Order: sequence, then structure tokens, then C-alpha cells
Amino acid sequence: MPAEAWAVPFAVGKSCHREAMREKASGSQNPELRGNMAGQASGRIDDTLLVREAQRGNRAAFEELVRQYDQAVLRLAIHLTGSEHEAQDVYQEAFLKAYKSIGNFRFECSFYTWIYRIVTNLCLDHLRKRQVRKEDAPVATDAAGEQYDVLDQVPDGRSGANPERDLMRRELGKRIGHALEKLTPRERMVFELKHYHGLKLRTVGEVLNTTEETAKNTLFRATQKLRGALADMR
Amino acid sequence: MKCEWVKENVLLYVYNELPDDARYELEQHLARCADCTAELKTTRKFHAMLSELPVEEPSPNLVAASRMRLQEGLETAEQGRFWHRLIFDPAAWLRQIRFAPALAAAIFIVGFAGGIGTTYKVVNGNGASTASGPVSLPAESSITGIQSIAQDPGSNHISIKYDTVSTQEAQGSLNDQRIQQLLLFAARNNYNSGVRMDSVDLLTQEPNNTHVREALIYALRYDSNPGVRLKALDGLGAFVKSDTRVRDAVLEVLMEDSNPGVRTQALRLLEPVRADSSVRIVLQKLAESDRNPYIQSQARNTLQELPEID
Repeated sequence: MPAEAWAVPFAVGKSCHREAMREKASGSQNPELRGNMAGQASGRIDDTLLVREAQRGNRAAFEELVRQYDQAVLRLAIHLTGSEHEAQDVYQEAFLKAYKSIGNFRFECSFYTWIYRIVTNLCLDHLRKRQVRKEDAPVATDAAGEQYDVLDQVPDGRSGANPERDLMRRELGKRIGHALEKLTPRERMVFELKHYHGLKLRTVGEVLNTTEETAKNTLFRATQKLRGALADMR
Repeated sequence: MKCEWVKENVLLYVYNELPDDARYELEQHLARCADCTAELKTTRKFHAMLSELPVEEPSPNLVAASRMRLQEGLETAEQGRFWHRLIFDPAAWLRQIRFAPALAAAIFIVGFAGGIGTTYKVVNGNGASTASGPVSLPAESSITGIQSIAQDPGSNHISIKYDTVSTQEAQGSLNDQRIQQLLLFAARNNYNSGVRMDSVDLLTQEPNNTHVREALIYALRYDSNPGVRLKALDGLGAFVKSDTRVRDAVLEVLMEDSNPGVRTQALRLLEPVRADSSVRIVLQKLAESDRNPYIQSQARNTLQELPEID
């Protein structure tokens, strides 16, 4: 089935995730990232309508919800797992889980928080398993199963055609990757959601089923560890 | 002490997570403290350095492939979902009840009432009966629906079939209190509009009874079927002059009813009281701007026929 088949004829506004997007954009310090965040998200009124329809068994409505959030889900999963293949597994498992249990969704939080909660739980499992396996992080596999260095995927847009600077950036990226690997799965998740995905600490707390205060303390801890690990880079 | 507080909060400042007052306080301190300004600079630099590991957008190919794979997964997931919810997930049922105390209370009350009712029946030895004699009046709460209403042609004899736990039948004249009670119940509660129509039709024969009039007003205002509303309107027509509640209800219907036929009939019934101030105001409104041109012109005509001064 072609990807266009997902353009379901379900009448909803095009302005989805507005609130989440605003939150993400204001929280993110990285202008490039801010642009990325604006890509997919907007309003929750439309979500409510779609969720109610999906709860009545309307698959087109569920697929529309998937379309609204799936790029954000993939972005998070790729950054956390470092593998397109594993990110695809997380994506599949997360949305199937959401589909099966959407009947139990009670609107106590936004759908956005709910789906992020499912995804982060799956990613946390993944990180815990990886810690046990003690795999070497930056070497990952792509969708075809071939190994590649995640940091080779870093584009050289900002370094222009300067190979020396590009090399330095790659080296730096590698070091950051290793430092992130040393965080506990929970610290990694909080740092990831806050720093790389620009979520407010309040939302991070909601997503991880904890308080804003706990999320804040975890962020402090993670930052301290990263500063220690990357002290010689400053 | 102040510097310590700033150093603790400078990270939140960089992440834009400080409340306005704390942010202001911190900025005020930074303006006069070189150490803390240096700390802010270091934190910002570190923050920028971490952003060197970019967050990649997933490629269109990956998105398309993931969506297709998910769509295949959804095909098979759908089948199991219904059974999963109904049979294999009793924990979800319990969770739902836990989160819906009103539902839990309702189930408890219904169960309790059912138990009491059954015990009462067993003790009294009363089964389902065809009641043509002086059987006790059925409590409204025990009636689950009225099946049918029929009047013998040319007589005052009415036959009503209604459901309690099992279907029962009551017979009697329109003056019979039990029959009246069942008719009132049917006019308000029955899901079958044909039965509501029959009951309203019969009730219009007893319009002097206040309960009956209330039921007719209720049917006129709230019944979903225009035929039933029209019948109720006919039954109430004689009272627009003497009963202001009836007049108000008819005026309301004239203004709000969705059916033009019902509105036209309401307009006709109000003819005798067209000089009444409330009726006049409504007529003026309709004559000025009504969505239905016929009603607008009729209202205009009625107004023209009125004397200029009451």
C-alpha cells in the first residue's frame, strides 16, 4: 500500500499539536531543533475528536492520530536507540499498544502525553536491556541490518566544506554519545526529553509518571554527570 | 548564599524553566556578580556543545516504511481487540468500575432493588398476571416499557400491554387510575413513538386532569416526534386562553420548534389570544425575521388584523 494511503479522508483541522509545539519550541535552545519541532505538531481539540472516533472503532481516525505523532516518535526513538531498525520496532510496538488500549484512554492527560508515555516506557526497556548487554553504543544497525556509526549520519551543513571542522564535530558528537551512554536510563530519558526534544519539565514529569520536582532533580544529576564526563572538552 | 542559589538555578534559567519572579531576581543578581555571570556563560557553552549531537529528522522512506508496517499490524490487531476487551481483560473492567463510582453505585442499587423485588414477589406468590380486576398499581420504576395501546372501537375500554420484569397487560376505562398512570408513563418515557402517539391521543380526551395537561405540555415541548407534538398541541388548544402555562408552551413551540407544520398549527391555535401582549411580541418577532417565509407572512397578517391599541 502506498504511503499516500495514509492521507485518510477524515475531516480535521490541519493545525494539530499547536500547544505541544509551542511548548517544545519555547523550551528548545536550538533554533534548528525549534524548526524541526514545528514540523508535525499542533492542537488538542482535534485530538479529542480523533481519539473519541478511534475509541468507537474508526481506524481512519486512529491512523490520522498516528500521522500527527509518528515523526516525533521516530525522531525520539532514533536518537535514543541510535538505530533506525530498533526505532522502527519501538514505533510499531508503541502504536499497536496504543491501538489496543485506546478504549481505556480516559482523557486524564493529553493524547500527546499518553503516546509519549508509551514510547518512553518502551525506550526505557530498550536502554535497560542495552545496559545489561553493555553494547558499544554508537555502532548501530540500519533498517537493512548493516552496521553504521550513528555519528556518521551527522550532516556537515554547519561546517560548510571544511573537512577539519567536520571531523572535530564528529569527534565531539562521538564523545557526547559515549557520555550519554553512561547515564542511567531514567537520567538519559529526562535529559533527552528536555534537552533534545525541548519538553517542559512539567510535561517530562507527566510522561514519566513522576513529579516536576523529581524530573528537575534528575536533570540536574544528568547534567552534572555529563559535565564531569566532558570536562576536558570545554 | 545568593550566589549559591544562582548556581543552583542557572541551568533552569538556560532551559527557560524559571518562573518570572525568580528569573527577574536571577537577572538582577547577574548584573552585579561577575562570578555568576561566568557560571552562566559556562553553562550556556556546555549547553551549546551538547547540541552538537543533532536530532535527526526521520527520512521520508523510514516514515513510509514504518507506516506501512504498522498498517499491516493493525489489520491483525483489530480482530483480537474486541475479545481481548470483553473476555480476557477482566482487570480493565474492574479498573473502569473503580474509576466510575457512579456506575458502581448504580449497579449496586439496581441489584439491591432487583433482589428486594424478587423476594417480595416470592413471598406474596404473585406471578405475572393479566390484570383486569383491582390489581395494585404498578410502580413507575418497575415499568420498563409500554408495548401497545388499543381502544375498543365505540367503547371506553382501553387495553395496554406493558413490560415490567415480564410483559403484563392492564385493561380498564380511561377513568381508571391505573390506565391513566400507564398512559402518562407511556407519553413521557416510551421509546416507541407510535405508542407515545396513542397515549397522547387518548390523554387528550382527559385534558382537565392536571397531570394529563402536564404530560401533554411535556410531550409538546420535548417529544422527538412531530406527530406526537402535533397531537399534544391539538389536545392543549382549548386551554391557550385559560391556562398561561399552556400559552407559554405553545408560544415556545411557535418560536423554537423544528417542524414547520407544528409551528403553523401553534400559530393557528394562538388566534384567540393574539391580542395578548406576550403573543403580540412573538408575532412581531416572527413578522420581522423568521426563517420560514410562510410563518412570517402569517404572523404579519395576524398582526395587521389586530387593533392598533389594546
